[in-house]
Amino acid sequence: MSVMTYNGAAIIAMAGKDCVGIAADRRLGVQLTTIATDFPKIFQMQPKLFVGLAGLGTDVQTLKNLLEFRMNLYKLKEERDMSPKVLSHMLGKILYSKRFGPYFVEPIVAGLDESNKPFLSTMDLIGATSEEKDFVVSGTCTGNMFGMCESLYKPNMEAEELFETLAQALLSSVDRDAVSGWGGIVHIITKEGVLTKELKGRQD
Amino acid sequence: MEPLVVGDDILDIGSRKAVDRYCGNKAQLGLSQDLLMGRPGAFDVPNVKDPALYCSSHFRSTCGTGDAGQEIKFAKGTTTLAFKFNGGIIVSVDSRATQGNYISSQTVKKVIEMNPYLLGTMAGGAADCSYWERRLNLQCRMYELRNGRRITVAAASKLLAGTMASYRGYGLSMGTMITGWDETGPQLYYVDDDGTRLKGKMFSVGSGSTFAYGVLDNYYREDLTLEEAIDLGKRAIYHATYRDAASGGINNLYHVTKDGWVKIHAIDVNDMHYEFEEEKRNEMSS
Repeated sequence: MSVMTYNGAAIIAMAGKDCVGIAADRRLGVQLTTIATDFPKIFQMQPKLFVGLAGLGTDVQTLKNLLEFRMNLYKLKEERDMSPKVLSHMLGKILYSKRFGPYFVEPIVAGLDESNKPFLSTMDLIGATSEEKDFVVSGTCTGNMFGMCESLYKPNMEAEELFETLAQALLSSVDRDAVSGWGGIVHIITKEGVLTKELKGRQD
Repeated sequence: MEPLVVGDDILDIGSRKAVDRYCGNKAQLGLSQDLLMGRPGAFDVPNVKDPALYCSSHFRSTCGTGDAGQEIKFAKGTTTLAFKFNGGIIVSVDSRATQGNYISSQTVKKVIEMNPYLLGTMAGGAADCSYWERRLNLQCRMYELRNGRRITVAAASKLLAGTMASYRGYGLSMGTMITGWDETGPQLYYVDDDGTRLKGKMFSVGSGSTFAYGVLDNYYREDLTLEEAIDLGKRAIYHATYRDAASGGINNLYHVTKDGWVKIHAIDVNDMHYEFEEEKRNEMSS
């Protein structure tokens, strides 16, 4: 099994009208054996900024701690919050700094910038960043997730519709992937705040 | 290679009688010498120096990463179990097929209903299992017609084991349980792709078998009632599908009785999860 499919993951982020949503599965496995069904892959870095990390579990945890550290340093030095674009670029640089011994993670950055406009970006494990207007996916079943997103996505969805779309896209994708699933978690970020819901998924 | 002609006395394979009978007019009857001796002769094999090695390195159907280097990845990964108790035999299986990480199907029939009194299970390569077990069914029917009585489970499983042994090294993948009720009572045999044949009271086969064994070993008793046995078979598969990524879908459960097998249920394992969760909650509160 490849190192990117060792633990299993599925993350989708979508943009709506003045809101973004990010959803992930909850499984942590060791190859085919499921170890945990509550493994966090999405982390709230700031009130309106989320990072989703898909890939090797140990690197997910390490990178999350490293990002928090770098973010705290930034806040102390600059005396302001980090915008999603800056976080995305910083993350890309961190990943490239390990070009010849990379972190086995393919992250997603999702948030609202200063003017509450949605921001989405994804990158590969060595930091090649791509910003998208509609949706980004990462994990072990990207084929499935791309298919679901392309069919279900509509621009300018409101928060409730965005939640439904994200949830359906995620659940249907992971049901065709052996190493991801076992439930889901969705965060919808609007200018009012963050709504978090857990998804009841197939437990097989 | 000449194709196998149905209707020939294939059960005389290897015997002096067969050799004498067919040696002279083998071309007319379409049976090759190789087949008579039990060697693989009915299939075309690659025209290379060592066909066994070629097949097992290019067309191998194994669990985990055994097929990492090859182009073709077969559907496999499963949990199947069967156990004998005082009321007969319970056979319980999942229904998922995976190709690498991709779930190719959630509705595979892993219990092969060979005939009204014999059941076979499927674990390993799906095509391998279904083909060879259907072929076994043919051999059992021929036996019935020639001998005027049903074949015993011991003999049926031995036919299959013999076939597997003759294709040893070719990369077949099959871990099956042959069960039935014959004049000696309920019988359960485990047969696999290297020709292993074991008689036993309880077996579990597949990537999720370790999880199923844990549950089975804990609650199994010979004097289970039918209801308890069905519940045990159901739970063992549920626990395996929960922990094993390559097992899931629907639990198909059969009961083998003196008058043949009966399909008891086909329950989605996801529904079982919430049913058991409810149960656990009630137990905790009481």
